[in-house]
Amino acid sequence: MSARDAVRLLAAAVLAALPCSAFAAAAIIGDAAAGATLAAACQACHGAQGEGLPTAGFPRLAGQSAVYLDKQLADYVSGSRANAVMAPLAKTLDAKKRADLAAHFASLSPPAAAGAAPADAQVLARGRLLARQGDEAKQLQACANCHGPDGRGESFAAPYLAGQSASYLTAAIGEWKSGARKNDGGRLMAEVAGRLDDADIAAVAAYFQSVGPLP
Amino acid sequence: MTQTMKAADVVIIGVGMVGSIIAKELAAAGYSVVGLERGEPRFTVPDFQGPGVHDELRFDIRKALMQDNTREAVTFRNVSSQTALPIRRWESFLPGTGLGGSQVHWNGQTYRFQEQDFVLASHVRERYGKDFLDPELRIQDWGVTYAELEPHYDRFEYLLGTGGKAGNLKGKIQPGGDPFESPRSREYPTRPMKEHYSGAMFRKAAGSLGYHPFPQPSSNLSEPYTNPEGLKLNTCVFCGFCERFACEHYAKAVPQTFILPVLLKNPNFELRTGCQVQRINLDSSKTKATGVTYIDTAGREFEQPASLVITSSFALNNVRMLLLSGVGKPYDPATGQGVVGRNYAYQTMSTVASFFDKDVIINPFMASGASGTLINDFAGENFDHSKLGFIGGSFIGAVNTNGRPINYHPVPPGTPAWGKGWKKAVADHYNHTVMFSVHGSSMAQQQNYLDLDPTYKDAWGQPLLRMTFEFPKNDLKMADYVTAKGVEIGKAMGAKQVVGAPAKGPYTVTKYQTTHNTGGTVMGADPSTSVVNKYLQAWDVPNVFVVGASNFPQNATWNPTDTVGALTYWAVDALKKYMKQPGKLVSA
Repeated sequence: MSARDAVRLLAAAVLAALPCSAFAAAAIIGDAAAGATLAAACQACHGAQGEGLPTAGFPRLAGQSAVYLDKQLADYVSGSRANAVMAPLAKTLDAKKRADLAAHFASLSPPAAAGAAPADAQVLARGRLLARQGDEAKQLQACANCHGPDGRGESFAAPYLAGQSASYLTAAIGEWKSGARKNDGGRLMAEVAGRLDDADIAAVAAYFQSVGPLP
Repeated sequence: MTQTMKAADVVIIGVGMVGSIIAKELAAAGYSVVGLERGEPRFTVPDFQGPGVHDELRFDIRKALMQDNTREAVTFRNVSSQTALPIRRWESFLPGTGLGGSQVHWNGQTYRFQEQDFVLASHVRERYGKDFLDPELRIQDWGVTYAELEPHYDRFEYLLGTGGKAGNLKGKIQPGGDPFESPRSREYPTRPMKEHYSGAMFRKAAGSLGYHPFPQPSSNLSEPYTNPEGLKLNTCVFCGFCERFACEHYAKAVPQTFILPVLLKNPNFELRTGCQVQRINLDSSKTKATGVTYIDTAGREFEQPASLVITSSFALNNVRMLLLSGVGKPYDPATGQGVVGRNYAYQTMSTVASFFDKDVIINPFMASGASGTLINDFAGENFDHSKLGFIGGSFIGAVNTNGRPINYHPVPPGTPAWGKGWKKAVADHYNHTVMFSVHGSSMAQQQNYLDLDPTYKDAWGQPLLRMTFEFPKNDLKMADYVTAKGVEIGKAMGAKQVVGAPAKGPYTVTKYQTTHNTGGTVMGADPSTSVVNKYLQAWDVPNVFVVGASNFPQNATWNPTDTVGALTYWAVDALKKYMKQPGKLVSA
């Protein structure tokens, strides 16, 4: 267990004890070993170690927050995150299997997948500016406020972006913008995505890809 | 040598909440407006961004967003027989500086005052008889009524995107809202904030005692909102860094999020930062302002001529500016004559701490500035005072806010102040304690006032403002009474220990209470007891307007910002009238 996971676990344990907690305690205590046997079905798209498949836009799952992964699977089922590929797959999983799978992927730490296309320096510079500082003219705050320094992820609710493929991030921001995805409670990402034009989406996606997976 | 700038129609001293709203309206009406701000320009991006903006030591403990009191302090004493000394570290109250003013670091609690508050003196006389009041008090009517201000409250709340639940829509009581509030013309622009566990416990307990709990109105947004200026605000993420901090998310309603982007695009407006206004200049008749004199950060002196001068630089600074400029007659507490500095009031802050066992988990770190559940059953004139021997009241509320590691350590009485015992108590209680705010009114009395200090000067050689303040006996009685009601609610919540801490004298500037400094340039209908008329126009110098909490004749139960906002839009209408007939007192 990494130090980051330990913090997440602790935070989630506190939350789990809350009588009105909306977070599922099961996600944190999901059984990674049981998840590993289920994960065979995921490997074709998400890679043998959850490293993702940048050329096809399938995201990296390895080392992602278990609570976050579990919630995404539940949201594919509920439809608050619409996805033609993932929705039917998620519907085959009960709550325990979702948690086990989430715990499994959270435990992995392979190197970055090959095949991601690099971006040019100007694009990366714009992406870094948005990631770290934001853009006042667009009333757009830094990604780091929620997703952590250089997109390393914050606690359990805000996923890491560092090391995620640009192809996936571009698609994901597009889903927030189009409304295909509306599973973040305060409609924060819809607001942020709505203020990003195509060039900014490409820049920020390229930047987080270029950071690479963080420890 | 003083350099004279090109004359403007309007010069505004202080570009905070009040200044930026007025500037926006007058610039849009076609007038040339110069905004003079003593502090720095600052914007959500890049100035308020993470992770730096969550530096508790820098912003909370060392007060990085506050007025620089190494250059410009306030001196303080409790009573006139003492010698006032400069406040070298802000604690009791926290005046801000810089573009956006003190609102940048506010908590977002956005209450209206009630109808009776604006006619308090008449109301008390009528309800309790002319001999009811403690003779040391100096309460008076505002000269403006709630009905006159209602459209302006409404406009201000829609500018900010305030979230809440109406309790009284055009006279009809609404379930879930505050049934004591004065009528609103429409619902709040956004939903209330999510309720914390502590708020839910409070709601149940207060309800079981027959009280009327409601969600705290918040200008930290509960949902995305586009205001009438076309500016968008985001949803608050409950990060816990609100009061004393700036918001990185565009989620707190501050001038940077609700008006400045529109104002700064208007070519009729010019913002000048780093400009320390020394005085409002008067002509030889002393009844007309000709502009202001200021010094920039390089030490150069400038004169800015203008047809109209507006001071909107926080309550304390408004008073000081008039005293430094000779606008209005200074108040003399010995004779009760004079008006500038008269009726300085504050807020009477008490607390109730309810300590629970470890199975009750509060998570105080998950917090915004204004996510609580409250009652107004013991606020203002909502209860009968005839047998109580005081006037005024407090709201009581469980508000999850500011649960940060350095500054938030609720521990029961008897806990050692340091060492192992203290650490253990903090660990035991941090996550299992509900704090109530018991937020009370503050009545003006003859001996509380503001004037210029005879000894201490600022970095530019001008006398500091001197504050003379002690809690009126009336207010301490009120605090005792309402805090006891809060203790009953804590017990009804099932806490194993409930500790009430009513406000006690002597007032100290070394302990944080609230930044709700009011009075000193009071509004009213009588020039012998007010500095400005009901349109916030100086009686003696009609082309000077003074806007802020300094206009309050006494402070009501609630946080002042919504009322300052309503007065601002009220003043905007008057200013537009004034500009058509300059040089005269505005009339209805």
